Amino acid sequence: MAAGAEQAIPDGAALIAGYRALPGVPDEMVDATGAIRPVWRPFLAALSRMNRAQIDKRFARADQYLRDAGVYYRVYGDATSKDRDWPLSHIPVLIDGAEWRALETGLIQRAELLEAILSDLYGPARLVAEGFLPPGLVAASPEYLRPLVGIKPAGGHHLHFVSFEVGRGPDGGWWVLGDRTQAPSGAGFALENRVATARAFSDIYGEMHVHRLAGFFRAFRDALQHLGELGEGRVAILTPGPLNETYFEHAYIARYLGFVLLQGDDLTVVDGQAMVRTVAGLRPISVLWRRMDAAFADPLELNQDSRIGTPGLVDALRAGRLAMVNALGSGLIETRAFLAFLPALSRRLLGEPLILSSIATWWCGGETERKHVTDHLDRMMIGPALSTRLPFDDTQATVLGASLRASARAAATAWIGKEAGRLVGQEAVTLSTTPAWVNGQLVPRPLSLRVFAARTPQGWTILPGGFARIGRSEDPTAITMQRGGTAADVWVVSDAPVEQTSLLPDVGLGFTRATPVSLPSRAADNLFWLGRYIERAEGLLRILRAYHGRLAETDDPDMPLLAHIRVYLDDLGIDADEPIPQSLVRNVDGAIRSAAQIRDRFSVDGWLALTDLGKVVGQFRARVTEGDDATRAVTVLLRKIAGFAGLVHENMYRFTGWRFLAIGRGIERGLHMSRLLAHLTGPKAPDGALDMMLEIGDSVMTHRRRYSVSTNDLTVLDLLALDALNPRSILYQLDEIRRETALLPLDKSGPPPSGLMREVMRIENGLAIRTPEALTSRRLTRLARDLERLADHFARTYMG
Amino acid sequence: MLYDIKLVIRYAYEAPVAGGRHLMRVMPRAICGGQRLIAGSLAIGPRPSDRTDRTDFFGNALTMVAFRDGHLDLAVEMLARVEVAAVEEELDVSPSLPHLRDEIAAALVLTAAAPHHFLGPSPRIPSDAMIADHARAAVAGAETVRIAVERLGQAIHRDFTYDGKATKVDTTPRQAFDLKRGVCQDFSHIMICGLRALGIPAGYVSGFLRTEPPKGRPRLEGADAMHAWVRAWGGQEAGWIAYDPTNRIWAGTDHIVVAHGRDYGDCAPVIGVLRTFGGHETSQSVDVIPVGDPA
Repeated sequence: MAAGAEQAIPDGAALIAGYRALPGVPDEMVDATGAIRPVWRPFLAALSRMNRAQIDKRFARADQYLRDAGVYYRVYGDATSKDRDWPLSHIPVLIDGAEWRALETGLIQRAELLEAILSDLYGPARLVAEGFLPPGLVAASPEYLRPLVGIKPAGGHHLHFVSFEVGRGPDGGWWVLGDRTQAPSGAGFALENRVATARAFSDIYGEMHVHRLAGFFRAFRDALQHLGELGEGRVAILTPGPLNETYFEHAYIARYLGFVLLQGDDLTVVDGQAMVRTVAGLRPISVLWRRMDAAFADPLELNQDSRIGTPGLVDALRAGRLAMVNALGSGLIETRAFLAFLPALSRRLLGEPLILSSIATWWCGGETERKHVTDHLDRMMIGPALSTRLPFDDTQATVLGASLRASARAAATAWIGKEAGRLVGQEAVTLSTTPAWVNGQLVPRPLSLRVFAARTPQGWTILPGGFARIGRSEDPTAITMQRGGTAADVWVVSDAPVEQTSLLPDVGLGFTRATPVSLPSRAADNLFWLGRYIERAEGLLRILRAYHGRLAETDDPDMPLLAHIRVYLDDLGIDADEPIPQSLVRNVDGAIRSAAQIRDRFSVDGWLALTDLGKVVGQFRARVTEGDDATRAVTVLLRKIAGFAGLVHENMYRFTGWRFLAIGRGIERGLHMSRLLAHLTGPKAPDGALDMMLEIGDSVMTHRRRYSVSTNDLTVLDLLALDALNPRSILYQLDEIRRETALLPLDKSGPPPSGLMREVMRIENGLAIRTPEALTSRRLTRLARDLERLADHFARTYMG
Repeated sequence: MLYDIKLVIRYAYEAPVAGGRHLMRVMPRAICGGQRLIAGSLAIGPRPSDRTDRTDFFGNALTMVAFRDGHLDLAVEMLARVEVAAVEEELDVSPSLPHLRDEIAAALVLTAAAPHHFLGPSPRIPSDAMIADHARAAVAGAETVRIAVERLGQAIHRDFTYDGKATKVDTTPRQAFDLKRGVCQDFSHIMICGLRALGIPAGYVSGFLRTEPPKGRPRLEGADAMHAWVRAWGGQEAGWIAYDPTNRIWAGTDHIVVAHGRDYGDCAPVIGVLRTFGGHETSQSVDVIPVGDPA
């Protein structure tokens, strides 16, 4: 391999002919003399054997994967936020295994140190009394959560999952730019970057000894389950919800690790025990991996304005029956100012010097430090002491000393003197560069790396890889993705073959299955409504197709049948003059909103099919005209909705969640049929109503086969209301609702059959014994009302 | 002084409320050398399904109650006998403002009484340039912290009008400042905001006032409901000193302390999170009667 790589270098040299490291800035790929570092050689050799078209094709493969997997991130604009395609920088960052091991040692020491500091500050605060930390700095931090002072975390530790933002400084060594102890994000994205990059370079990835990522996640999953065994044993991930910037990742990690994804509203606290509201009643939970900022977790004891928290959650922590990953209040040590104190704290708490340097930081609350900052303004980035963002991510609040005009320096010095403890000075850093593929060639771009650490029963373990952020230009401040930066995979490359792991348990070791948490009521509610919205949309589309089809073929838009349908639509609040009515948009949006709340239970394909439907509905609404154009557009939409329904039907695991979706759908379809039949059958129905009814009910062919007589009220009612074999009939819906209801957790309000089940059976039997003659419009309208009440009954029983 | 105190708070809801969870801070607290709770009881109806009594970070008596079943009203009745130590005519031992800064830095503690908790902005009292300017003008030339506190309290009493209808419980200090009107909570928030801007640690005090004044003295404003005033840290020697800007007096034996905190949010008598639709009505009554006093 090594020999082959060296032979390939001449070609490789062509590939990187224009690659020049920036003066004075270390580069990941080439050393100071311009020679390629050994760890990169096999990769570059392989890359150089490809032509431009081949390379583009490989990159396209990675992008296709990311699109198929639905990976997105949220960009915050001025007024709106929107989801963007994931910006992958296709060239991975290669790091030598031996160098990585040294970095790991430093990060593990750092994780231990951060734990020790938190344990002191939320306990005896000796570090303050001994003068190692200024009390004012701690007290002023919004992440110093007073209600948590004195609470010993269940399991004994504050920190379980942390990340570090690291960068390579001008001296070639790694520096820590920031510690992430609150609720670090990015690990899920690191996984997706890996899968995508490995797709692009599957052959090279397979040949090089790149450390795998799955082992880390498996170790952490097991650690969380171990932590849960201290209590009731159940583990869940707590998310702020779909509006959060990294919700995709929360849902992704939940699916990947097999944990339930909860929102604050899913939880309640009873006698000091955190419980999940599920369709089977309240169920205890013992571990929450929190992806929500701590202050929002409990509106009673923390931020009183929080709408996403759980009242009493701090009480559950106080009772020691809930382990929070990480403990509430852990965000305290994320602030920039803490970096200034870590070297002394390491010696005090660990009895050893800090292995990994932080970016040089001075807290301006100290007189000597303040003087140092003002004396060296040129080399400083000055920003808020309590900010948790990296200086180059926060250019609005950070002043670059070197950019100050001479006349502004006195003002800056006065400002620093006045603000004092509210500011820190940090040495302006230049980060190392790594190759990025821009316009068909490799160019150096600044790099910062997020590395993840997890606590296991055996100690801290580091993800061998991570999440690299690559700058858009040579300017290191352009790294942030919100400003056009990109993300790359990180390959830690060993000399020796690496262990191959996946999340599937080792054969022969047996496996433990996580205690499943029953379906949270909120998820049931969203699935139920997803079923209802989709069915409503479909029902409406079928009416619209029949309506516009006839409109296109007639020269009399006021013919009785069309007027009759307009009355029907009008009763539902739908304006028939709109080819794609607002009501359809509302229903599809409703379905998307419901699905967005339960991304963890929902296949990526299903999600993409649904959002695609939403997109096309929006486009059609803007341009489709009535009649023939509308008929064709509606047919396209019906096909898309059928595609979505098919994905759900084929792929969704038949468990409690599926049942709520199916019941919601069944109720809505039954409602649609009873209302329409009431309107389109009987003596008042205009000519052509029955044929239209059969068309909307998708039963024209069946009718022709089953009935030898011509279409009349009785045959239509028989087929669309009473035929238990017709998947469009009302009785079929009730039959399915009954079968699914029987498999739901019992409603405990009485002996079986439950009140709800009795209600389903009453409606079903009440319909089954009728003859078509007895199904008058009045009776059908009453049936629709019964179905509406049934929906409320489900909601009351399971989703309250 | 010995007092018998009775507080009744009632809530009536429009729709039945279930799953309510509340934190209550209504019981007078102990203050070393200043106030002693001799006996106290807190009755809550309907009976909560879960109740715990403890002290919070700032040392206030805190009761958590939770209700599993639906209820249409809630009644809280607190009875207490409290002894308030007479305050001697205080000597001003507080430092000058520049020296206070050094004393704060020298206080290497994070306990509830530490000045550091009360120096920066807090959830309901963000820093505000207008209020800071007002405070600076009011205390110009004050030689000591104690004088500065008194001057600012007097200025607030002078510049603002007591008006029970102008503000609400969630009115911000700045809104009340612009209105130039408000109640004890607003005046206290504005004063705290101003003191912090001057570098003086300042916090919120909730409590009660003696209902009927001693003979020959006027009835104090705010005696018919829970009251609020301000405390400020006057350095290591003077410690915490308390001023009532609503009544333009130093807090004394007519003031009974329930809770200390950074702002109203830390001291609110009842914080509740309800799963409900519709509004509610509240009423509050307070009686503070000196024991053995014919009045």
